[in-house]
Amino acid sequence: MAAKDKMERLLEALHEAGGLAEGTAAKVAAELGVPEAQVYGAGSFYHLLGSPDSRLRVCTGLSCAMRGGRKLLALAEEAGMPVSECSCLAACDRAPAMLRERSVLVDVEPADIEKADGDWRAVQGSELPEDWRGRVGPDDSELPMNLGGAQNFTGSALAKACEMGAEAAIAAIEESGLQGRGGAGFPAAIKWRAVRAQASNPHYVVLNADEGEPGTFKDRELMLRRPDLVLEGLAIAAYCLGASDVYLYLRGEFRGPWSKLEKAIEKYSEEGALDGVTFHLHSGHGAYICGEETALLEALEGKRGMPRLKPPFPTESGLWGNPTLIQNVETIACVPSIIRRGGAWFKALGATEPGTKLYSISGDVSEPGTYELPLGASLDEVAAAAGGYEGELLAFSPGGASSGFLPASESGRSLDFASLSKVGSMLGSAGVVVMNTKSDIRESVREQLVFFENESCGQCAPCRIGTRYLREALDRDLQGSPSGKSLAEVAEVAWEMNEGSICGLGQAAALPLTSALQHFPNAFGGEKS
Amino acid sequence: MAGLVTTFGAGAMTNSIGEIRDVDFLFVIGSNTSEAHPIIAMEMKRAVHRGATLVVADPRSIWMSTIADTHLSLHPGTDVALLNALAHVIIEEGLTNEAFISANTEHFEAVRDAVLEYTPERGEEITGVPAEKIRKVARAYATTKKAGIYYTLGITEHSHGTDNVYALSNLVLMTGHLGYASTGLNPLRGQNNVQGANDAGASPVFYPGYERVDDAQAQAKHEEAWGVNLSSKPGYNLNEMMKKAGEEVKAFFIMGEDVLLSEPNVSRLEAGLNDVEFVVMQDIFLNETARFADVIFPAACFAEKEGVFTNSERRVQLVRKGVEPPGEAKPDWEILVALANACGANWDYQSASEIYDEMAKHASKFSGISHKRIAERSLGLQWPCETKDSEGTVFLHEHGVLRGKGQFQAVQYRPSLELPDEQFPLIMSTGRTLYHYNAATQTRRDSGTNAKQPEAFVEMHRFDARTRGICDGEMVSVWTRRGKIECRVIVSKQVKKGCIWMPLHFAEARANLLTNDVGDAVTGTAEYKVCAAQIARLEPETPRPERFPGSFCRDSEPV
Amino acid sequence: MSETLRLNGKDVAIVPGESVLELSRRVDVEIPTLCHDPRLKPVGACRTCLVEIDGMHRLVPSCATKAAAGMAIDTNSERVVRHQKALFALYLSDNVDAAETDDTSAPSELHAFASKVGAPTTWPKMQHKRFQRAGDRNPYIEYRADRCILCARCTRYCEEVESVSAITLAARGSETTIATSDNRSLLDTTCELCGGCVDVCPTGAMAEKKPLSLSLLPARELEKVRTTCNYCGVGCQMDLNIDRMANDGRGVVAKITSPDAGVLPNDGNLCVKGRFAYQFIDHADRLTKPLVRGEDGELAESSWEDALRIASEGLKRVAARHGADSLSFVSSSRCTGEENYLVQKLSRAVFGTNNVHQCAAT
Repeated sequence: MAAKDKMERLLEALHEAGGLAEGTAAKVAAELGVPEAQVYGAGSFYHLLGSPDSRLRVCTGLSCAMRGGRKLLALAEEAGMPVSECSCLAACDRAPAMLRERSVLVDVEPADIEKADGDWRAVQGSELPEDWRGRVGPDDSELPMNLGGAQNFTGSALAKACEMGAEAAIAAIEESGLQGRGGAGFPAAIKWRAVRAQASNPHYVVLNADEGEPGTFKDRELMLRRPDLVLEGLAIAAYCLGASDVYLYLRGEFRGPWSKLEKAIEKYSEEGALDGVTFHLHSGHGAYICGEETALLEALEGKRGMPRLKPPFPTESGLWGNPTLIQNVETIACVPSIIRRGGAWFKALGATEPGTKLYSISGDVSEPGTYELPLGASLDEVAAAAGGYEGELLAFSPGGASSGFLPASESGRSLDFASLSKVGSMLGSAGVVVMNTKSDIRESVREQLVFFENESCGQCAPCRIGTRYLREALDRDLQGSPSGKSLAEVAEVAWEMNEGSICGLGQAAALPLTSALQHFPNAFGGEKS
Repeated sequence: MAGLVTTFGAGAMTNSIGEIRDVDFLFVIGSNTSEAHPIIAMEMKRAVHRGATLVVADPRSIWMSTIADTHLSLHPGTDVALLNALAHVIIEEGLTNEAFISANTEHFEAVRDAVLEYTPERGEEITGVPAEKIRKVARAYATTKKAGIYYTLGITEHSHGTDNVYALSNLVLMTGHLGYASTGLNPLRGQNNVQGANDAGASPVFYPGYERVDDAQAQAKHEEAWGVNLSSKPGYNLNEMMKKAGEEVKAFFIMGEDVLLSEPNVSRLEAGLNDVEFVVMQDIFLNETARFADVIFPAACFAEKEGVFTNSERRVQLVRKGVEPPGEAKPDWEILVALANACGANWDYQSASEIYDEMAKHASKFSGISHKRIAERSLGLQWPCETKDSEGTVFLHEHGVLRGKGQFQAVQYRPSLELPDEQFPLIMSTGRTLYHYNAATQTRRDSGTNAKQPEAFVEMHRFDARTRGICDGEMVSVWTRRGKIECRVIVSKQVKKGCIWMPLHFAEARANLLTNDVGDAVTGTAEYKVCAAQIARLEPETPRPERFPGSFCRDSEPV
Repeated sequence: MSETLRLNGKDVAIVPGESVLELSRRVDVEIPTLCHDPRLKPVGACRTCLVEIDGMHRLVPSCATKAAAGMAIDTNSERVVRHQKALFALYLSDNVDAAETDDTSAPSELHAFASKVGAPTTWPKMQHKRFQRAGDRNPYIEYRADRCILCARCTRYCEEVESVSAITLAARGSETTIATSDNRSLLDTTCELCGGCVDVCPTGAMAEKKPLSLSLLPARELEKVRTTCNYCGVGCQMDLNIDRMANDGRGVVAKITSPDAGVLPNDGNLCVKGRFAYQFIDHADRLTKPLVRGEDGELAESSWEDALRIASEGLKRVAARHGADSLSFVSSSRCTGEENYLVQKLSRAVFGTNNVHQCAAT
């Protein structure tokens, strides 16, 4: 086995060995001829590998916390089950969610824990882990992704792209104005061109399906329902960039999407529709940071998922140092219809910015789910698609934990990249969490800070120390010290996290607290309510 | 040493340690670099990380071979056959550097003729290294400009050690890998000041600066300098001294050396020492040899005195005093002055610096060097350094081979003198480990090195262990025609079937009770690397330790 | 004509290939840094060396940014200074007090830089979460998690320079720590005890265990004496760290440290023997008086005067009886050049024989 292949197998081999228990790092090291400490260091980075004794994990993401996640945790602990808490499981629309080994259980009720009678294996959700999916809408065959639509394995978009030629296909992407749907909103065509222009070979295409931003679950739903679009989009990208190997990096909890993708690959292979492309499925092992593109590359290479310095960008030096296109699931899924219907068509679908957008919405709305709406829809419009608000709107988080909180007064604002950044927030992955007046803002901020503290990779000090610093400051505030004192350095720490952190996680991690302090100053200081 | 003086005109690393990181092709032969020269190994690792090709030729799988592109696992003692086969390929395939050969060398034809019969296939037959590997390595070596060869005692500690050095020199000369940075032929010195001791004339044939004692001019020069008559008769080399102990040799003066641990076939040496009339020693600790001493002077250690050490790359560096010696111990040079004066001399040295100046005055290679100059620079001075304004010499032979013409030396493969037979079916080699040093008088007095490697051991292949009913970690006895010791066995992936390996550091299991004292014809260096041995399990069964000393790749699966 | 850039308003010529940090150091503009070592690939992880470069949106790590023609770099703009103060304040809140670092370990670069940039010291202290393996029985190296800043110099050195990868960054986030596999003792890993981790550590988190017992002085009061290692033939340069007052004024080698990277021939590296195996210097077994074998066949202590007389008489007696060539002088590759010179001169000039050889002749 080449050194590169050994490294690529490292984390999977550790998973197969049962995670990081005494002796397993040595075993994997011997199998792969990799230094043992390297195996241990990499394994300990990933929560699903690093603590194999936790058979059950309870999601403490904001939406799950709002629906009783912490109560489930307490019950399971009382019942003596091997349980711990975990970060968002991307099942906010089916909250509260739990993880049993690597299976996501949804709509878990306290009774589900009680009737398991102390046996963690017996804990069940409302549906079998391999069967459940979320609510979607609307069903309209004119939509680029149309989650409700039927799958199609003809590969006609790829065929058309080949007919057009790579340059023309990329021109269509450019015309469509497609922006990266993972969070940064970077124009897709620029990345495609950059990789295509690189002289060194091979080129790689990597799918970022490590969806972990609290409140976000649209990629999950897309892979569950339309794996055909995802794979065809990847094949088109591979064709345009001169790549033949495509890596799909799915978060480790995505067993359902994994099997749907596997089946779709099989189907395409039967049809012979995407020949010439090899798909490599890779599982994550419990690390939100691997959604950051360079951390994802490190994980693919079998290392600790610590973001790289940029430049160089992955388009120049990515996977194994080769030019690499990394795109989010949703971005890629837009590609087939852009090729089929043209860039102008796609662009015109948007409200304020090009195209449609999958909005994940959860929290205090009637029908949490994934809704494909014109990009730039307002919260009111998204909530309307989700059956309306439950209770009186207090605040919302427009794009995952990293976007902070906005007050009810912003519910008419367009949820797009430009408009949200004007108010110091961001569209991010468009994981919208709605909170009504029964919510405790300060507690919600704490959940988000805990999330960032747990998910910081620990590489750079502003993030590693800053996230904990803010959470501890908030804890002091919750314990009742006068606001001005316990939160005195928050602004400076937040400024430094933004200026000094290597990647987006640290740069945005203070936002839940600073935005809440800005919009809800009265929620802080004084005794816990 | 002597081999390199003959072929190139200077017995030292041709190039510097700092150049190793830029070498593109490293040929490491007979050197367990990561254990014996860890800092040089770091430079090699750095080159490999950079993308250099590393070839390790060693019967054992050593740490360096784990990161090597190619490991030539030759049978012990077959180096000449391997090197001649490499030369054969280089000549056969027209990869020689004709311009260099004609401008800078002599006697190439002799080598060309001599290696004719060493086809890679014949090489494979003798060495066990596949012919294709030999071809590949020969081509890569010959066609890479920055190609450096590194060797240590695995080359020299053979009855044909000088032949080995000649065969290596031949490769260098025929490819012209000499006289520029990051190339050359580089013996890595085992002791802090082997180079400096040679330089200073601690040799039966050389005065300081490599002038021969049987050269009338040199003799006259030193007679004048020292104001006495001198002998023109070359003296005994170390190997001869040991063998003649009690016979021709009736008295010893021994400074800083435990001959009874370090010299081969020590049981014979012990018998000889019984007949020696008088032994004077100076050392920092009592050692095995002290049993025979009549007078022992307490010496200062390196941290307690001034002077210079000259490293492998000819770099003369200062030793500075940090603390006072214990009790009445004194620096060796002060003891020597006192002893010489007690013997009737009239030496009046006030400092080490003054002694150095006297030596440099009569040895042109060092005449630009003084303590003062070294202290002014933070990086020592590399000889040749002949004038007070010379910056020294980073690599040798830049302006042509020092000797004038590099001398090719045709050599033939000769088997080692003691080969395995029915009675002694195993080939035993000895060597060093990272955690100990020589007789381990220093390292076994240290908590850490001793914790890491607390006791003697012998490495053997699982097949040889199984056929003898020996389990990993058991106590065994190891014996040869010369003696017998007991130690623990490590079943190891490092040694080949039919071979065993032992470290030389442990006084309670002296490997040198077993080794053969036949010496190389030129240098007298003994054949520490090859002798025939046998092993058996010690009865009754001994408890196995939980932790094992040494051996980085113990074969821990059940035998 | 070499290319230039502007550094804090002054034109500076660029040496091709150098980083902004290297360039700044070359012209004596100090930029704090904690994770940089010239032997290691830059990682830009400590964030202390961020500078402002015109046209770049974010502050950039000077260690990982190549100097390029036309750059306008500011190393002490208002933004950079604010960043430094806040960053060091965070580091301090997660580390021990400066007073606690004033022990026998190396001076803390963290605290030195923090005070230099004027970082506030009043931010609340946090209880660190870094796991520290207990009771590693190796006698040389200890990891003190409370001082660690996770700059990873030690783990990178272990991988990139020593190539043994015995230690690693482990866990993540604020629990990130330095560990061995399964938290075993270093003795039971691939560690070769070279101590490079101790040498590169900027805060004393990786520290020698030894000096604690040998010297009472804090490291900064030890006197450094540059010398040459006495083990193998590489001739590493090293610093004896001397406590002059110890041992009734004889002095003690409290520890050995390596010189800066770049000092030849070892480039600041040492091996286990060079860095740690110096306990022999003060070992109780050291010979402290001349010994002379008496009538009873036993060695007994003697005066220098008697020992010299007996030795010289013995050698002269054998020479007289059997001739000069019946004497053999074994010199030592362990001793200095001057001492070897004197042995051969003793042999040749005093006794008239060339029977002199050093112990490691090959």
